[in-house]
Amino acid sequence: MAYPVSLKKLVDVLCRFPGIGQKTAQRLAFYLLGCSREDVIAIARAMVEAKDRLTFCVICGSLAEAESCSYCSDPGRDQSLLCVVQEPRDVLVLERTGQYRGLYHVLHGALSPLDGIGPEELKLDQLVRRVEDKNVGEVIVATNPNVEGDATAAYIAMLLKPLASRVTRIAFGLPVGGDIEYADDLTLSRSLEGRREI
Amino acid sequence: MTQRIFKAEGLVLRTRILGEADRLVTLITWEEGKFEAVARGARKTKSKLAAGVDLFTHGWFTFHRGRTWPIITGQDTIERFPRFRDTPDLYAYGLYLAELTDRLVSGEEKCVEICQLLLEGWKLLDGDVDRTLLCRGFELKLTASAGYSPHLHSCVNCGAESTAGFSPSQGGLLCSRCQRADLIKVKPGTLALARRLIEAPLSQIKMLRATDWQKKELSSIIMAFFAYQLDLGEIKSRRFLKD
Ligand SMILES: [Zn+2]
Ligand SMILES: [Zn+2]
Repeated sequence: MAYPVSLKKLVDVLCRFPGIGQKTAQRLAFYLLGCSREDVIAIARAMVEAKDRLTFCVICGSLAEAESCSYCSDPGRDQSLLCVVQEPRDVLVLERTGQYRGLYHVLHGALSPLDGIGPEELKLDQLVRRVEDKNVGEVIVATNPNVEGDATAAYIAMLLKPLASRVTRIAFGLPVGGDIEYADDLTLSRSLEGRREI
Repeated sequence: MTQRIFKAEGLVLRTRILGEADRLVTLITWEEGKFEAVARGARKTKSKLAAGVDLFTHGWFTFHRGRTWPIITGQDTIERFPRFRDTPDLYAYGLYLAELTDRLVSGEEKCVEICQLLLEGWKLLDGDVDRTLLCRGFELKLTASAGYSPHLHSCVNCGAESTAGFSPSQGGLLCSRCQRADLIKVKPGTLALARRLIEAPLSQIKMLRATDWQKKELSSIIMAFFAYQLDLGEIKSRRFLKD
């Protein structure tokens, strides 16, 4: 298929987005072509602006538009509660629950010796210092429930046990909407561990 | 393996994120060798497959031959080594055995012996064992199974029985007449230990005793052998071991 050069260029660029294949990229490209010039400029500007203005909070590693993020600079948040997550977008997911009012600590990864990622790469000493200095009462470890995430949680617990009064792991269990008979044994055993009174 | 659907007993050596929600899983299987397969949707919390394709899983896997990679369509777990998840040291040692296996096995040929060895290694690690000695034994047995054993019985050059040390470039022992500049001196006790480790089943590790010095010597000749003869380069998980 002979593509106009500028269309091909656009499709190629869109293909770089995660989860976007040739077909979807084409659809997006035609969508953009159908937009007004102003709308296209607004879209492009939003991308550049986000890229220019967003950095990582120097305290917790979350996405921030200033040196410290909106969570760290909010005095209304519970300063004695810290939730450790792997990625900045995990913070957004937890925020969406509206349930959590403490602060965060983003690791930007998990312990992964095969990729050469160890405690130094995750800057875990920074986490230890934070817990030590700020008198954090409880640290909730919300790393992913796979081997890497669990091993990272275990490592963090080992480091923090002497410092924080409580180190907890978020409960993992049955997904809402599924039937128990379809759950695997690991999920089920974790659901039992994380059970609560009703 | 030519059928569209096939089944294999295997061990998960490594997993990587693939696209938005999938995982690319490196498996070593008894009958079909080592290969990568896709676990669709395994990153989703609702995935039935997620737990079964996690690292260190020993199980039966069903595959559908895909265009690029086989697709995992079913899974039955036999063992998942839960202690490797909540003991950081064990996590590192378990991965080290996995990484070595991944690096030394190249392709899709039957590897019953190596699968047994890795499974045995993980099982021993999960129990009460000298982890350093287990790693050395595993390294020696794995290289032997993969067909690259160092020559540890006599001078590799002339066959003389009395030897002066180990030469990484020659891949074995050398006598005082044949010796070269890269010779590493090794005590007889260390050599005897190395031969025991190669010949005896891995489970015998529990019965062996080694001094710190012997372990150190053993480690240096094996590492030199790896670097010289196998061109393995950096074994990333090694720096996370405590030895
Ligand atoms: Zn912050
Ligand atoms: Zn000789």
